[in-house]
Amino acid sequence: MKHPPGEPMTDLNDGRVDLHRSRARFIAFSVTTALLLLVLGGRLFQLQVVNGDVYAGRAAADRTVQVSIAAPRGLIFDRAGRPIAVSIPSWTVKVRPADLPEADRLRVLARVAELTGAERATLRARLDAFSGSPFDLVPIERGVSREAALLIGEEADTLPGVVITVEPIRQYLDETGTAGGQLLSHVIGYTGPINRDELQALEVDGYLRDDIIGKAGVEVSFEETLRGTYGTQLVERDASGRQLKVIETIREPTPGTNLMLTIDADVQRLATQALTWGMDVADVSQGVTVVMNPQTGEILAMVSLPAYDNNKFAGGISTEDFNVYLADADRPLRNHAISDIYPPGSTYKLVTGIAAMEEGVTTANREWPTYGCYQIPGAPDGECLYDWNRKGFGPLDMVDAFAKSSDTFFYQMAVETGIDPLADWAHELGFGQLSGIRLPSEEEGIIASTEWARQQGRSGVFTGELAQAGIGQNVIAVTPLQLLNAYAAVANGGTRMKPMIVRGETDLNGELVETFAPEVLHEVAADDATLQTMRVGAREVITSGHAYNISDLDLPGALSGKTGTAEFGELTDEGTLPFHSWFVAYLPSVAGATDAELAIVSFNYSAVVPGNVSAEVVKYFLQLYYELDEDLRLDPNDFSLVTAN
Amino acid sequence: MGVATATFVESFRGRDWRHFDLQLFLYVVLLIGFGVVMGYSAGFNEAATGGGMTQTVKTLIWAAIGLTLFFVVASVDYQWLRTLAMPIYLVVLALLTLTMLIGTNLFGAQMSVTVAGLDFQFSEVSKVLMIAVLGAYLAGRRERIGRLSTILVAGALMAIPAFLVFRQPDLGTALVFIGILVGMLFMSGASLGWMGLMTAAIVGAAPIVIGTLQDYQRQRLFCFLDPSADPQGACFQLVQALNAVGSGGWLGRGLTVGGEGQRGYIPVQSTDFIFTVVAEDLGFVGGVVVLTLFGLLVWRILFIAWQARDAFGMMIAVGLASMILFQVLVNIGMVIGVMPVTGIPLPFVTYGGSSLISLMFGMGILQSIRMRAHKPTL
Repeated sequence: MKHPPGEPMTDLNDGRVDLHRSRARFIAFSVTTALLLLVLGGRLFQLQVVNGDVYAGRAAADRTVQVSIAAPRGLIFDRAGRPIAVSIPSWTVKVRPADLPEADRLRVLARVAELTGAERATLRARLDAFSGSPFDLVPIERGVSREAALLIGEEADTLPGVVITVEPIRQYLDETGTAGGQLLSHVIGYTGPINRDELQALEVDGYLRDDIIGKAGVEVSFEETLRGTYGTQLVERDASGRQLKVIETIREPTPGTNLMLTIDADVQRLATQALTWGMDVADVSQGVTVVMNPQTGEILAMVSLPAYDNNKFAGGISTEDFNVYLADADRPLRNHAISDIYPPGSTYKLVTGIAAMEEGVTTANREWPTYGCYQIPGAPDGECLYDWNRKGFGPLDMVDAFAKSSDTFFYQMAVETGIDPLADWAHELGFGQLSGIRLPSEEEGIIASTEWARQQGRSGVFTGELAQAGIGQNVIAVTPLQLLNAYAAVANGGTRMKPMIVRGETDLNGELVETFAPEVLHEVAADDATLQTMRVGAREVITSGHAYNISDLDLPGALSGKTGTAEFGELTDEGTLPFHSWFVAYLPSVAGATDAELAIVSFNYSAVVPGNVSAEVVKYFLQLYYELDEDLRLDPNDFSLVTAN
Repeated sequence: MGVATATFVESFRGRDWRHFDLQLFLYVVLLIGFGVVMGYSAGFNEAATGGGMTQTVKTLIWAAIGLTLFFVVASVDYQWLRTLAMPIYLVVLALLTLTMLIGTNLFGAQMSVTVAGLDFQFSEVSKVLMIAVLGAYLAGRRERIGRLSTILVAGALMAIPAFLVFRQPDLGTALVFIGILVGMLFMSGASLGWMGLMTAAIVGAAPIVIGTLQDYQRQRLFCFLDPSADPQGACFQLVQALNAVGSGGWLGRGLTVGGEGQRGYIPVQSTDFIFTVVAEDLGFVGGVVVLTLFGLLVWRILFIAWQARDAFGMMIAVGLASMILFQVLVNIGMVIGVMPVTGIPLPFVTYGGSSLISLMFGMGILQSIRMRAHKPTL
């Protein structure tokens, strides 16, 4: 029995009047339903039929993505064409978080740790530290062995989200062609995964989130050249970013340019060998030896000890290893040849001598008295500065004073010249400024001047300081490379060259295809006669002066140079200061000639034996370099007999 | 008690089955079939790893359970719901509270409880149970239906479960509760004036609710106004959905071929965004067929409501009609960019056991109402 619409119904339970059933509201509800469904249908018509093509086009565009193709990084050769930085395949374990179910996480990471020998906690920490899209690949362990990579590949079914990628990493070789990261680490540097700050700065240049970038040495200073140009390809992908297939290559990658260093790995080895010996016998913990061609500025060897193993960095260095390097008081990660500054001691008398003659304070032949202790002008009586020779030498001219390294002679030269002219001549010779070598982290050094004193809040430099500046003490600090380059400029007749570390570009076999031209930085504004006087003086240092021990080497030329002993730090228990030892030399064909093609500086930090270990290092190097049969190395106990200040 | 026993016994005599509503059954079965095919198409690409087939098999199992439930519920006089309205209400509150306390985490929200290995979203069945509870209340109001208190009490009854669901957080389902409330109040004969006032008050309070939302919820909510605002982020889903729907054209790309969906561009495609698969694979024609089926279904339910023996039956029927209509509007509206993205399943078509079982339970009640419309008054 139908209930007449619009009338109250009888309730089944107690017979009372039930709800009123409104025809109007039923109609309103139905009409509303119909209208709303019509609206949906209309919108569907608009989307699919009217604008269908637009959306279909967008959908197609969304399914493709441009992906970078990494360019192979340029190789690095030494000047003899030996490969010293190459790329080798490396296997990296990566995880795509979106594909790794939370429940499987621990099991999968544990298995990966088992197969690769990594720490489970380390892997988890790396995965947890990642904050990008869950569809990105997160590298959790780099440099796994090929075997481990293959095993993980075989177990792919039970390791969801785990992906193995092969990426090229650097391997650094020594002069024998075997992996040896210690030999050239300070010059070549290393590459490593790009960090967040670098990525932020370089993303516009096409750097990728998981890119490799030069971090130190030539690897960073020639990053642009070595990197090449990445290519682009159009890849079809799914929404999770998984790449399905390559549709087209838009641009092929251009491989990075291969470089040839000016360094000869053999010479580097000899310099390392000589320095290591010297540091061993003199119990020195930090040392530098740099070899250069004064005519071109090419660096033939640059050794800074202790060195680090850049192969450890190439595969991503472990925190433990890195902390060991960081904690080392001798700072193995720093290139002491350019990144640290030291008082140059007597080697700096080259600057004082040139300044004094050029400023008219003295002439080559004028003799000056020397003293056991030099009374500082204007200071109270008895306030004097000692000569290393407490007896004095009697009257000396420039050449003799340089050869004997008389301190009191050069105190007088400095005081007569004045601090600012002295500083100007220091700048003329390249001190107090970057040498311009294409290596990162070069230091400028300190050259005292009135302006420098003002920056320290003083009106000027004290006379005592001025005198000490004359012998490269106290208010003067230079890098070993600056010192070498100043002597090289004098040696070649007055042209300051820009120190070169890269000789040119090569093909894949290490044959030069483009040679970089040597670059003149500055013509030193001193008279030829002045420079000639200093060259003669430098020769006298070897023949009759402080480094005469070296003269027993049978060398193809007239070795010229200067020793230096630079006190620093605080008095020891014996009342003496610890000192650095320096020796800088060059080898012209005959005394005074400007044709030297070899210049060398050696520096030993805080030598504890008397005498000059640096001169012994240079001597040993030359013995090795010229393949002299007779071993003329001295017993370290005898150093003090022959070399001093 | 005597009445309940009598109806139970009667049902086994099969007298009522002569009035079985074939149309209702037909529309429901067609929609479920659509869902099975679409779910299979959506998951086709994952078939290699067992994804597509497994899901289809699961859906078929759920459909079988749902149909069984449908016939069982249809065979029982729906009056038991009225008798048990109060306990049912308490059970709903308990279940939702339970979900909040021990619910498993699904897409960041606690929406389901795992019982014997099966995930069950109590919020789904709660919708149907609340229709019964509200129906019982409104049917009992009789001549007092026009008073303000009707609206206030009904609103309060609905507000508690809606709030519990909102806190899961499941904004979509909470909105469905409100949709049901409005639909049932309207059809019950409640005062239009008071309803209008209440609506105005709720609209006024909307900014407060929106303010309590998480950033991601808010962004997603407003994407439909301008999908290009954040195409890679919050609006990614919507932008992809529009592309997929638009790609369908007149006739679609064909089943299992549709590219946009196949490769997983649209998250939760076999659930909330299933309509994108319909639209992409079967085009405008397929979409209109689905809309038409829903239109017919709602019309049929309204017919059952009109014919119902008593006000309680009528209220349940209009409640179910409101629920289905609301979900269809919001779900399809969402994937075609005329409604905010909220995450409401498309009735019968969306893959999901809880939703299907709950709907079949509701359809069973409808069938029961229909079959008993001709019963002579006792």
